[in-house]
Amino acid sequence: MPIKVDYVARETVTNLKRNFTITLASVLTVFVSLFLVGFALMLRQGVEKATQRWQGGIEFIVFMNPNASPDQLQAVRSKLENSPDTEKFTFVDQNAAYDEFKELFKDQPDLTENVGPDVLPPSFRVVPREKAAAAVEEMSTPFKTQPGVKEVVSATETTKLVQELSDKVTKGMGFVAIVLLSVAVLLILNTIRMAMFSRRREIEVMKLVGATNSFIRVPFMLEGLFQGVVGAGLAVIALVVFLPFFERWLPPADQFPLFSGFVPGGPDMLITYLLVGGIGCLVGTLGAGVAVSRFLDV
Amino acid sequence: MIKLEEVTKVYKGDVVALRNASVDINKGEFVYLVGKSGSGKSTFLRLLNKEERPTRGRIFVAGKDIGELSSWKVPLLRRNIGCVFQDFKLLPNKTVSENVAFALEVIGRPRQVIKAQVPAILDLVGLGNKAENFPDELSGGEQQRVSIARAFVNRPLILLADEPTGNLDPATSVGIMRLLDRINKTGTTVVMATHDRNIVDTMRRRVIELDHGEVIRDQARGVYE
Repeated sequence: MPIKVDYVARETVTNLKRNFTITLASVLTVFVSLFLVGFALMLRQGVEKATQRWQGGIEFIVFMNPNASPDQLQAVRSKLENSPDTEKFTFVDQNAAYDEFKELFKDQPDLTENVGPDVLPPSFRVVPREKAAAAVEEMSTPFKTQPGVKEVVSATETTKLVQELSDKVTKGMGFVAIVLLSVAVLLILNTIRMAMFSRRREIEVMKLVGATNSFIRVPFMLEGLFQGVVGAGLAVIALVVFLPFFERWLPPADQFPLFSGFVPGGPDMLITYLLVGGIGCLVGTLGAGVAVSRFLDV
Repeated sequence: MIKLEEVTKVYKGDVVALRNASVDINKGEFVYLVGKSGSGKSTFLRLLNKEERPTRGRIFVAGKDIGELSSWKVPLLRRNIGCVFQDFKLLPNKTVSENVAFALEVIGRPRQVIKAQVPAILDLVGLGNKAENFPDELSGGEQQRVSIARAFVNRPLILLADEPTGNLDPATSVGIMRLLDRINKTGTTVVMATHDRNIVDTMRRRVIELDHGEVIRDQARGVYE
């Protein structure tokens, strides 16, 4: 049987109006929890982007001159291979460096168009056995004077701190978000249950005169979905509005190079928004679905 | 039209509501279901539109074994069975015509059909002038007429009435019975559970008496006792 759109829309709107305050509570809970989810994802993307080179225990990087000779490269390589302090190292050639460069500055096409792989330094990324700052310093210093070496950069304590902190913050926010999302599911479930309770006489009559199960259920399902979607929509809007403020709070890039390119760009955020929206739909449908199957005996 | 074969219904806690009941009701019959409270009259009616399932036995409605009906087809069964209750079950926030229209709306009837059928059925039950009133502005008898209009607007094959005159005074009850009789004359099978001795004895029809869930009497043109 086709379900009439105007009937379903009218019923859903009536339900939402009738339980306005409790609907608002569910919507706001979905909103806050999804904002946290979005913010945690954003932070994680930002930190990953800013500390991309420093992942997997890499403690210092030996940048070679772009025009370093194969002999000079080989010398550094064998020195690293023979050093007892090296756990492992990777060599990033100019093409790989260019790919990384493009990724890091994809929002600035001027920069990527004017730079080619030939001007970028190849580098050795070193994971030492001993991670303490002093040991890393001691190990990396001799490379500074090696012929063909442009510079040696160590992961600073700050970088490590940022990584660790962001890890903890994302985990914490994730935990709070999961708790809040569960609360949201329960709240939606209860809202729907109350809506069904306040309309139990109508539901009884509907069953008696032979309304189909889907006909009785759909307005309630839509009500739950609506709450989830509106909550998610608010969260996305809040993230969009919040992003520029967040950018402004960060220390200027010239003072604190780590944070240059920290704020995630378009495609990354789009995925975040879609994810937030998807979770919103899921939360609404889940709450309403459980309520409908548990409390609507048709 | 309705056939019960050795139907037994046991509720939780071994309460036997119906025991080995076998009844055959033809199309167009008018049947009184009498018996004390708790004798199984309501269970009998509830089994017919599959609000309850029998513990044992088979029930046929319009030639179909409703025990074999898949759950999504139950609504289609119920569209062929109108129900009237002692407490009317009207929606207080809808007007008389909205109450009747609701029954058509929720089974997906087109709006033009609803517009045409609701005033016609309200005229039939004698409430053409009260269409825009709310149920609590009507007398008990008028409310029961609305509920009969709602049950009959879809032209069901069967009308089940569970003590439809239980809350009404004798004079009003007679009016309701006339209405049910008129509906019966259109070919609708009517099964009515009742305690009303007067009605059963004046409007003589087939009587089925239940006692502790058993059919103890099945009499054409019977009396209450």
